Amino acid sequence: MPKVTINDRTVEVEAGTNLVDAAMKVGVQIPHYCYHPRLSVVGQCRMCLVKIEGMPKLQAGCSTPVVKDGMVVRTDVPEVAEAQKGMMEFFLLNHPLDCPICDQAGECGLQDYSFKHGVAYSRFQYEDKRTYPGRERIPLGANVLLNMNRCIQCTRCVRFTQEVTKTAELGFFNRGARTEIGTFPGKELNNDLATCVVDICPVGALTSTRFRFAERVFYLDKKPSLCTGCEVGCNITVEHRRGSIKRYKPRFNVDVNDYWMCDYGRSTFELYKTTPRLVTPRVRAEGGNGHSPVTPTSWKDALDAVARRLRGNQETVAFLGSGFLTTEEAYLFGQLADLAGSPHRSVPVDLGDPHTIPRHGQPPISGREAAPNRRGAELAGLAPGIADGKAMTGELLTSDELVHGDGASRCSALVVCDSYFSRAAYDPAVVERLRKAKFLVVFGWADSPLAQAADVALPVATHTEKEGTFVNVEHRVQRFDRAFPAQGQVRPGVEVLSDLLSRFDAKWANLSAGAVFDRLAATVPAFAGLSWHTLPATGAPLHLAGVPGDAIAAETAPGTGIE
Amino acid sequence: MSVSEPQVKRAVLPEAARAELDEIRKRYPTNEAALLPALHIAQREWGGWLPDEAIEAVAHELALAPAKVYGVVTFYDLYHQKPVGRHRIRVCTNLSCQLRGSEEIMETLHQELGVGEDEVTPDGRCSFIHFECLGSCDTAPMMMVDEEYQENLTPNRVRQILKGLK
Amino acid sequence: MAAFEPVLTRNVGKPEALSVRGYRQGGGYEGLAKSLKMEPDAVIEEVKKSGLRGRGGAGFSAGLKWSFIPKGKDKPKYLVCNADESEPGTFKDRLLMEHDPHQLIEGCAICCWAVSAATCYIYIRGEYTQAAATLERALKEAYEQGILGDSVMGSGFKLDMYVHRGAGAYICGEETGMLESLEGKRGQPRVKPPFPAVVGAFGSPTVINNVETLCNVPHIIVRGADWYKGIGTDERNTGPKLYAISGHVERPGTYEYPIGVTFRELLDGAGGMWKGRTLKAFIPGGASAPILKADQIDIKMDFDTVAKAGSMLGSAAVIVMDETTCMVRSVARLSKFFNHESCGQCTPCREGTNWMELVLKRLEHGEGTERDAQLLLSICKNIGGNSLCALGDAAIGPVKSLVDRFPEEIHQHVRDRACPFPKQRYFSNGA
Repeated sequence: MPKVTINDRTVEVEAGTNLVDAAMKVGVQIPHYCYHPRLSVVGQCRMCLVKIEGMPKLQAGCSTPVVKDGMVVRTDVPEVAEAQKGMMEFFLLNHPLDCPICDQAGECGLQDYSFKHGVAYSRFQYEDKRTYPGRERIPLGANVLLNMNRCIQCTRCVRFTQEVTKTAELGFFNRGARTEIGTFPGKELNNDLATCVVDICPVGALTSTRFRFAERVFYLDKKPSLCTGCEVGCNITVEHRRGSIKRYKPRFNVDVNDYWMCDYGRSTFELYKTTPRLVTPRVRAEGGNGHSPVTPTSWKDALDAVARRLRGNQETVAFLGSGFLTTEEAYLFGQLADLAGSPHRSVPVDLGDPHTIPRHGQPPISGREAAPNRRGAELAGLAPGIADGKAMTGELLTSDELVHGDGASRCSALVVCDSYFSRAAYDPAVVERLRKAKFLVVFGWADSPLAQAADVALPVATHTEKEGTFVNVEHRVQRFDRAFPAQGQVRPGVEVLSDLLSRFDAKWANLSAGAVFDRLAATVPAFAGLSWHTLPATGAPLHLAGVPGDAIAAETAPGTGIE
Repeated sequence: MSVSEPQVKRAVLPEAARAELDEIRKRYPTNEAALLPALHIAQREWGGWLPDEAIEAVAHELALAPAKVYGVVTFYDLYHQKPVGRHRIRVCTNLSCQLRGSEEIMETLHQELGVGEDEVTPDGRCSFIHFECLGSCDTAPMMMVDEEYQENLTPNRVRQILKGLK
Repeated sequence: MAAFEPVLTRNVGKPEALSVRGYRQGGGYEGLAKSLKMEPDAVIEEVKKSGLRGRGGAGFSAGLKWSFIPKGKDKPKYLVCNADESEPGTFKDRLLMEHDPHQLIEGCAICCWAVSAATCYIYIRGEYTQAAATLERALKEAYEQGILGDSVMGSGFKLDMYVHRGAGAYICGEETGMLESLEGKRGQPRVKPPFPAVVGAFGSPTVINNVETLCNVPHIIVRGADWYKGIGTDERNTGPKLYAISGHVERPGTYEYPIGVTFRELLDGAGGMWKGRTLKAFIPGGASAPILKADQIDIKMDFDTVAKAGSMLGSAAVIVMDETTCMVRSVARLSKFFNHESCGQCTPCREGTNWMELVLKRLEHGEGTERDAQLLLSICKNIGGNSLCALGDAAIGPVKSLVDRFPEEIHQHVRDRACPFPKQRYFSNGA
């Protein structure tokens, strides 16, 4: 592999690596706008100009590959600094001073490089800035807004729609100083990944309709997490201000979602904000056949009530799982089901439109299930018909019988593991059927009609308020951490279940999600060899020899234009 | 098919034009390369300019994204996106012609036609714009009227030419 | 000097040369016939030996360019003839195409044989409708006469040649801009490397040569490289050259001389200064060439001499300016041209040419300041060498020469808050 020396630091790189990437390997940041690792190299912005020994003119780093030994590059010489100053001046020449009203402030490529490489004054004094009258707030589609005055013509957005989503809605129009980006008149930018152009736009020309004016980015806390919109499990950053989520942004993971996420996934945090929450444990008075009054109670009383009813001889206890459970929660629910001797478990999920994310050097990843962890929940102990590790025969009350049939009426107790396990939880006909169980326990964060119908309703955390793992469509287990703590009486599900299970057996007391994962890894073959603390940041594939279930092939999405 | 189903009509290239384009397509290894010739043909069919429907028709004919074709149309000076007169006049005002009186030619046109640059006369007859060097500097000042060069102009010559345009 | 027999323009004014038969009667297509009997590499060697340098503006050795085409057979090869001719002041290629289309066709065919190209596109600017029609007619006849097609002159060499019309963009004269436009895209120049000889049209090795360059080729083959080298100044500046002279001269037009004719000779040959006025300045090689002052009147118009004098021969498009000309106004018009023609991809050219036009407009209209001269130089410095293609460098040529060579004129505009040169009226009432 050839070696290149950048600012006296030598590094060996794969042949064909460009200088921007090579410099990053030795901690030298070459400023750039138009270059992006997933887009074609165009060498347009001229911000990445560097000095290469033996070449009279400065060269664009992004379009200069390292092919053989001996290239000596400098970015720390006056010639390069002068060029960078010159380029910054050109960028800012016609750029409006919108910082006070521009979303991008605080994460803006012009601000950052201006500070580092530019000058503090303008020589553009007697002329008028070029503007695009009537193009200051053009909706390019439902989710993306364009302010053409701010654009620096880096063409990342155009190349994204041409090369990544291959939908080619955006084009580069006119010529010279009048160039602008846009859609064909009357057509829209509405592909599944449309908001990704906002991510890659270095300035505030493209803004997200959802995030517009929502928050100043320097007030945002950013915590790594996972999206719960579907089974793909895109890595995200939860950006919040004191527990109020303002946006999701994709986080790079070359094995899952690369640099991208879909627009639907970005919208899923809003559910947490608009859905009324369960805030305190509630217990319904005995008798009254499910219609006696409900009162808020303490956690101790609520869990005691549940333990009491699940102990002893129960004819039929069913567990209705959820694809939104973490693997650890599902494992503990499975243990609870084992203690109750119940094989009646299932993990229902809604099927939605497929969401497909293109990847680099591998087929795209695609998901139709509208929840992140059906697989993890089933592997951890909620797969139908398995109790205590043994397959059970006989009549099984799975979600079909419970949600769509009269199965609940045959239950002496029904434990719903998630008050918003699917859209069905808000369907009055479904609630009525599930209410027919003699004792209805509902865990959840949403105060859904199902939670309101429960005999015991237990408020647990959303995924942003706890830690855990999800197993995605390709059977990759990924860990996520807590973004911010839950409020008031709300507790993470693992904590609640540990508390509940300890009433049966002390070995379950005081377990963290990590401890649960390690126990699960010791008993479930698919997770063999993994441990919470050593789980790689990009996730780990599970071992699935002999496990019944779906294969790891990713589906391609018909009709979204993504191959 | 129900009666109330909306029919989305997309404009298409006329048959003869498509035949012409099909011959031209054979010259290139890719479909895309026929785009510039296709736009010249379409512009001719649509009366000297390219409305959005013409651009979409070409995009569909060559299986190219409309935004991409739009980008090509707006890049080049010979493709017009606004209605033009039946006769399109392009006056060179670059240096060699400026040195020999192109400004007065522009003034004459403005006077005679009664419209400004890039506007169409009310009767739809003429429109004129200034243009960059047309490669006829030895016959400056000069202009292009439709497909022909009119060279060695004087204001009187311009008036004569205009009279001949119907 | 011995009387110079025109080479490239020998058929101008002879309408019979527009037909294959008429062209042949004058010795045409002998070069192609001879080349087909030579090894392709031998043809390249002969062209290299002749010292033929590109006539489109860059002045790069044509033979050397041809030798860069790889010999492997895995990819088809292309020749693209650059007939985009949009450099202000240039009109020589139009003359060649309108009056002697077969000379160009022959030159292209010889080049295709030399580099094993089976397809040639003549990329002609869209505005040259007459030249394009003339070429189409000539090509049609060439096919009919078996000069093009499945077996060129019966040799078994397959060659197709087509006219491809541009649509009005100067930047499509830049070789990779031309390739993009040929492929049906916006004419935006590409990052180099890779160079067209490796990745050109449709991903394949491509030669791009100017019309005049290719028109030289049949003569080199027929009469030999030694003959060709005998014309011109020295071994680096050889052959006949077309000079297109316009502006304030009595008889603007295209004149053929051995390369290296002095400007004085060229001016005299074109009838001298218009209306007997005084020479103030001249541009030797098109709008991108730095302006030379009248004291350079005896300069030899070849590549190296003009370069040494701080300008460039370029396309040898000579624009002559007399004492009534305002240099600021002239350069302002040129900078408007470059601003209009910038493709807009790269930041220094897109923003810089726009800025320069605005500053020069201010200066022209008496709204300039004392700092504007230095400002213009600074802008030029930030564009030069930093742009993606040569248009950036071209745009700064005239501006730098204005500040360097005509500082007093700028100063006058600033001091007087007006242009010191009255607007010229070229036509009296009733003209």
